Amino acid sequence: MIPILGRLLILGSLLAATAGSVLGFVAGRTRSLDGLRWARRFAYLYSALIALAAIVMEVALLRHDFSVSYVAQVGSRLVPTWVTIVSLWSSLEGSILFWGLVLGIYIAIATWLTRGRYPEYQPDAIGVWLATAAFFSFLIAGPANPFHTVANPAADGPGPNPLLQNHLLMSIHPPFLYLGYVGMTIPFGFACAALLKGRLGHAVLKPLRESLMLPWVFQTIAIMLGGWWAYEVLGWGGYWAWDPVENASLLPWLTATAALHSIMVVERRGILKGWTITLVQATFLLVILGTFMTRSGVFNSVHSFTQSAIGPTILAFLAVALLFTIALLAFRIDKLEVEGRLEGTASRESMFLVNNLLFVLLTFTVLIGTVFPLIVEAVNGKQMSVGRPYFDSMVIPVGAALLFLLGVGPALPWGRATGEQIRKALLPPLIGAAFFALIGFALGVRGAWTLVTLAFAGYAAQVTLAQMFVPMLQRIRRGDSVGSALIEGQLRRGRRRFGSYIVHGAVVVVIVAIAVSSSMRQTTELTFTKGQTHKASGFDVTLLGVEERHEPHRFATIGRFAIARGGKPLATLEPRMNQYQMMRDPVGSPDVYTTAARDFYLSLANVDASAQTATVTVYESPMIVWIWIAVIIMGIGGLIALIPPRAPRVILIETPETA
Amino acid sequence: MNRSVLFIGILIAAALVVILFVGLGKDPAAIRSPLIGKPAPDFALREVGTGRTIDIAQYRGKPLVINFWATWCGPCWEEHPVLVANARALQPDVQFLGVVFQDTEEKILGFLQQRGTAYPTVVDDRGKTAIAYGVGGVPETYFLDASGKIVAKYSGPMSGDIIQANLQKVLRP
Repeated sequence: MIPILGRLLILGSLLAATAGSVLGFVAGRTRSLDGLRWARRFAYLYSALIALAAIVMEVALLRHDFSVSYVAQVGSRLVPTWVTIVSLWSSLEGSILFWGLVLGIYIAIATWLTRGRYPEYQPDAIGVWLATAAFFSFLIAGPANPFHTVANPAADGPGPNPLLQNHLLMSIHPPFLYLGYVGMTIPFGFACAALLKGRLGHAVLKPLRESLMLPWVFQTIAIMLGGWWAYEVLGWGGYWAWDPVENASLLPWLTATAALHSIMVVERRGILKGWTITLVQATFLLVILGTFMTRSGVFNSVHSFTQSAIGPTILAFLAVALLFTIALLAFRIDKLEVEGRLEGTASRESMFLVNNLLFVLLTFTVLIGTVFPLIVEAVNGKQMSVGRPYFDSMVIPVGAALLFLLGVGPALPWGRATGEQIRKALLPPLIGAAFFALIGFALGVRGAWTLVTLAFAGYAAQVTLAQMFVPMLQRIRRGDSVGSALIEGQLRRGRRRFGSYIVHGAVVVVIVAIAVSSSMRQTTELTFTKGQTHKASGFDVTLLGVEERHEPHRFATIGRFAIARGGKPLATLEPRMNQYQMMRDPVGSPDVYTTAARDFYLSLANVDASAQTATVTVYESPMIVWIWIAVIIMGIGGLIALIPPRAPRVILIETPETA
Repeated sequence: MNRSVLFIGILIAAALVVILFVGLGKDPAAIRSPLIGKPAPDFALREVGTGRTIDIAQYRGKPLVINFWATWCGPCWEEHPVLVANARALQPDVQFLGVVFQDTEEKILGFLQQRGTAYPTVVDDRGKTAIAYGVGGVPETYFLDASGKIVAKYSGPMSGDIIQANLQKVLRP
């Protein structure tokens, strides 16, 4: 029953998306308002049908209906209910259905919010969104169908991928990633619509920017959650390994970040239109590339799904999308009228341009490093991998340059500036630069790159803080009270600016934390027998004992360690080795003692319960926790910048009667 | 029409799609080891249950399938019946040998008694043999020809098809 219902809903969503897409494009050509209205209705219909299909699957999972092929594949009566719920995205077929659901939500909201407001662009945008939706519905209906009927259903199933069960972060990382990834479809639709019309007018910049910003926020958080998960679970003391799938999540983020900046130049100066559209489109194409990379089985990675038959289908879609985009760009990019020109080399807009070029350079660097093993294998049949040294040596200098721009760019005025203005803008933040570098040096930083990073960070921090509160200070100077200047200048009028500088400030913290934690990390390997104490990075570490624990879905060997400093007990850490039934190798689970200043991280290298001995790798890394905190602040800053400027006044004005 | 956009775009897109397409047919689990085409590292290890020493030199003259596994590894359980069935069908023309590492003899013996076996299993006490073969994780299987040369390596659980395909390589180089 459920399999048939599911298949019908998916087929319905495929039909609705196809019909709506065709109608959208036709309405775009004929300017038929009726056509547009019907395209919108089909967009809502698609969203409703795909959402129902996802709900049906959740019901099947919760009812342990093993006659549904996907439930038979990932369901289990043994696992807790929350694991059953998140099983929807734990395996390939379900994850594509989840993708469809997220796309449905995005399309419904975007269609609703832009209804009647962008009649010039909306039909084609809906056409593009629903064409993408039709492809994913086709995937769900065909190659990745989760609703096959199982003839003789079993009484129980194996349960989802154990890595998903190992840590709560792993169940929230994927939804964030999908909200980021899938959301990039919406700005892609607007960008294509602008090209199809041959016009990127001022009006469409707002939905373009906002629809890019929201998924950007999710993507930012998702990347951080992925890194955090790796850090908490994988036990090698790091959070980023330049693994192909990590790169797949980073690539569209880089181009989206570049686009968010170049949109501002379009707004202010009316230039870089074609470039901005190209970046937005590249973002979507990189999302599809990333989807291919995770689901085709071409790349070996801890993150990827197992090999599957949907690789060729996604590749075909990527090829079609690339072709469509390139043709569209080639035929229409010259039609986008340039309204202004780039003025002065030392102006804010030229810094935006350099920023964009650096982001694109980073994108290519990471992309080439990721596909290089495939190129080599295709050319001479040798297998190889591109490791950390390549990425680090390429990314660190570009990252430092971007940090430098993060300080210099906002300090410079828009348009042409005099030498005096430039000096006035650029000299004072050198104080901040010197300050940060000196503090770092005093605290023991000696690495040249780290000191340079700190200096750039200090420069950027001072500029960011000064710029962040410009509107408030102006109001105070005009005689406003501090409170009203804060509310009026920062929160109400200047929200977009305020939010953006919060993001900048958080980026400074993230980069400093990454630079300091990775360059000042101390690693020691210690072997313990029960009761033995070793000193590591100023901490006293004692092995209290080793125990073995049988849990329903795994077998764990746990080392219990007491952590103390100067005789004062601080924490008990329990790094462990989990052996899941379905996994080839044991999964080490480290344990971390986190403080604001540093993380003290224990990971089991070797453990023997019968002899009560354990060897641990101890990582002591400063500032790690600031990476996670600052990325969350980045997301909050992005959201603040997103709140529409004309919010209802009742929020801020005290009106007791309306309560 | 902007020809340079078209040209650069097509160039990047075509290169990317072609590379990914070529990559599609490849199975990343089929790791090519630098040892392929080279004589397999020799080892003489203790057989589980009997305690006698098995030297792989004694199997020269016929193809040898060496399967690295452990009782704590789920996929090894999954592939065990496949290996046993194939060994029953192919031996004595092809020899199978299990090498267990990071495990205890008691657990291995229990596993084999419960699930049955059709070929000898030896214990790689300190993992030296696994290191010599460059084993990345279990299960991992090596296919040797009659002269003791490594012809193929497969990482991951065996299936009948995988065994057949790799033995074809051994028999018809």
